[in-house]
Amino acid sequence: MSLPASSVPAANPAASSADRRGRAVRAGRQETVWVVALVALLAGLLAYFVLAVPNFRALGASGVLGLSEQFLDIGVIALGEALVIFAGEIDLSTGAMSSLAGIVMATLWQQGLNIWLATVLALVVAGLGGLMNGVLVTRFSINSLLVTLGTQFIFSSVATAVGGNTPPYNFPKSFVTLAGTGTIGPVPNQLVTFAVIAVVMWLLMGRSRYGRGLVLIGYNRAAARYTGVNVERTLLGAFVACGLLAGVAGIFVSGYYNAARDDIGDSLLLPAITVVVLGGVDIFGGKGRMSGVIIAAFLLGFLTQGLLIRGDSSLTATMVTGIVLVLCLVLKIGLDRRAGVHLKELVQRRFSARRAPLAGGP
Amino acid sequence: MSLPLPVSTDMGPRTEQSLTGPGPSARAVQDQGEQAGLRYEGRNLEKSFDGARVLSRVTVSFAPGEVHTIAGENGAGKSTLLKIMAGIYQPDSGELWLGDERLSGLSPRSAQHRGIYLVPQEPALMQSLSVAENLFVGILRRGRFRFNVDWAAMRREASGYLQRVGLDIDPSQKAEELSIAQQQLVECARALVHRCTVIFFDEPTSPLTATEAGRLFEVLRALRSQGYTLGFISHRLDEVLAISDRVTVLRDGAMVMSRPRAEIDRQELVKAMVGRELAARERVRPHFDASGGKEMLAVEDLTSQPHFEAISFSVRAGEILGLAGLVGSGRTEIAETIFGLRRADRGTVRVAGKLLGHRTPRVCIDAGLVYLPEDRGRHGIFAEVEVERNVTAGIIPRLQRVGPILKPSAERALAMQATAKTAVRMHSLGTLIKALSGGNQQRAMLSRWLLAEPQVAIFDEPTRGVDVGAKDDIYRLIAQLANEGLACVLISSELNELTVTCDRVLAIYEGHVVGELRGPEVTDAALGALVVGAHLK
Repeated sequence: MSLPASSVPAANPAASSADRRGRAVRAGRQETVWVVALVALLAGLLAYFVLAVPNFRALGASGVLGLSEQFLDIGVIALGEALVIFAGEIDLSTGAMSSLAGIVMATLWQQGLNIWLATVLALVVAGLGGLMNGVLVTRFSINSLLVTLGTQFIFSSVATAVGGNTPPYNFPKSFVTLAGTGTIGPVPNQLVTFAVIAVVMWLLMGRSRYGRGLVLIGYNRAAARYTGVNVERTLLGAFVACGLLAGVAGIFVSGYYNAARDDIGDSLLLPAITVVVLGGVDIFGGKGRMSGVIIAAFLLGFLTQGLLIRGDSSLTATMVTGIVLVLCLVLKIGLDRRAGVHLKELVQRRFSARRAPLAGGP
Repeated sequence: MSLPLPVSTDMGPRTEQSLTGPGPSARAVQDQGEQAGLRYEGRNLEKSFDGARVLSRVTVSFAPGEVHTIAGENGAGKSTLLKIMAGIYQPDSGELWLGDERLSGLSPRSAQHRGIYLVPQEPALMQSLSVAENLFVGILRRGRFRFNVDWAAMRREASGYLQRVGLDIDPSQKAEELSIAQQQLVECARALVHRCTVIFFDEPTSPLTATEAGRLFEVLRALRSQGYTLGFISHRLDEVLAISDRVTVLRDGAMVMSRPRAEIDRQELVKAMVGRELAARERVRPHFDASGGKEMLAVEDLTSQPHFEAISFSVRAGEILGLAGLVGSGRTEIAETIFGLRRADRGTVRVAGKLLGHRTPRVCIDAGLVYLPEDRGRHGIFAEVEVERNVTAGIIPRLQRVGPILKPSAERALAMQATAKTAVRMHSLGTLIKALSGGNQQRAMLSRWLLAEPQVAIFDEPTRGVDVGAKDDIYRLIAQLANEGLACVLISSELNELTVTCDRVLAIYEGHVVGELRGPEVTDAALGALVVGAHLK
């Protein structure tokens, strides 16, 4: 038959065509609905903490904003990771890249380089690391999951080797203020940096030629190629940006703790991917909004920090995060009525299989 | 039964049981032989894929002791019908009845439990497992200790089943060592092992030689005499006439005939299968003499082994050039190489006189050359994306913007204009393209390339998966574009499509241009002879 195999799972067998039409139109709005839901969830969460947790209330506006320093590193990585995931790939090396960038910056500074020059060079290293991932993925067509699983070990071991037993600490005041713990009025510097990056990424995905191509690659890579999108270059760009932003996160963390360490990235990767998925980006590429990712970074961050302030253990906070993620994903599938029908069909099939006697069995 | 045993002398040792009866396994086989199948019906079955209607209200009934052939041209819906009957696809509407029982929510697994088995077009055996394992997968025979497998018994039984389908091979051979024909028969034996009595064959003969097909038919006849319910897909006339007890003909997803073989003759069958297509349609526009026009596309000595070699042709402004050829003749590869999707070994491509050096799709589009791909679902549409962005996807670098920021209003206006020109019927530009019918999706694809303001367009099977009515619209649209000066290349396996639209046709056979027909010389018959390589004999 002339039908492409790929159209089979996409087709919805149980509905009439008129029904399909209506649902498909609605499915287009689903992404917006999800972003609105995330905003509502974030507002509800903050309201709950302010009303029900005295310690949280006591922080005041600047205190609450200050909390963001605890999770913006994850947010920055998520912004880069989102680019890669939009294109249907994944980067598992971002955490290790953060560690490496921090160590490179600190070591260069220790060698007598100006701290800001060292920072720029560290970011260059991070970008090159991303480029390496991208080249391996595009030129050699190796699955990005495998490539970055491998380069992750390279980056983190290089970080350990360069950093040595006691990596540098106690950076110049100006650096710690600007990159780490300083504020402009009540607003942490990190939050300002994050906001700038977030706006750039939002425009890049929603309103630029590059973002348009990237999303099309995520939806249907072959069709993107046939339509004139430069798939290879676009993917390379995504990996470079992802590496670069992981580097920024590494600088953030080093500034915040006023010390570099070779293992800071270990706890950043999975939360960052969680933020991207919670933000509504389809893990297989295409669908999603950058605004959702930005909001999800705050949602997940405030949820964790709020619980800790309420007096819950970090174990509880992690568990609640997991529960929220799973619930959100279930909810999202519910939003997608098409998937709902699939589920029903699956159940039906199961039952009919069980009821079926063996034809002419012994 | 006495079937000619296919063959090869270097087979491994056979178990004695398989050759002589009546061992325990042979008895089991005998029991099987007496089993009668059930009548299996599909009523008012309907199915669409991504908006393209593939089956409309088809009712078909397979009776025990009958070979029931589903005939029809490529794309008529034959495979889809059998896949629905075997639980691989779910019908959009309609009912399946096995005997007196209605089946719902059928899956391949539950179908198999009910005794319904589809032998797929490409045998789907597990290549690195033995034939016996493939046969008994899911119902491995247990040994004395219940947790072990009784390999010896299984091999013995397997031999019995293999013999029933006329295969004389060692059951412990790996599946990958078998020929396609043998694998198909193993699939058939697997249906017997799983005690299936309704067995469908999805175009089994297309990869087989005549002798192999003959062997398969003997197996079919043997199973028929044992009361099995057999369904079979074919588009080869001789086969249909030779093996069938009943013939159902599908055309464009609808049933046009379902009668006992005895009541029909060859001519009736041809008429039913080809139908309207055979009646010469009127030309979409008069023959256009482009000899004075500017040469817009010049391909010279283009070669990409092993697909095609030394292809040279040119297309002038306003001309529609057809590329005729069978599937696999290299037509699509030629087009994809011109468009920079594949690398050429040698040869040049000029668009409006300008040599395109390192060709990529982007370079070609910017030079004024566009390519509408054959496989719309995989290479054309972004199914989950709105019509608007689907339409503008080809000209992202040219979209109007302020600084680096795109201007949505300008983009919308462009998309509006382009979809209006091709008359895309849709709810709004924000509709996901997968919700459109096949014809409208194709119109949207045409709008995509109109926006690129091309000078040359290659249309690869532009009417595939498109409703009959929409086909004519697409021909007219292509003719209109040509009238406006677009140089068109039309690739099609439907000869009639070429005769009604093209001013000139090149016939491609096994990667070579084997003939060129101009103006009134372009007829179905002349093309038909060229594409099958008649000139070689």
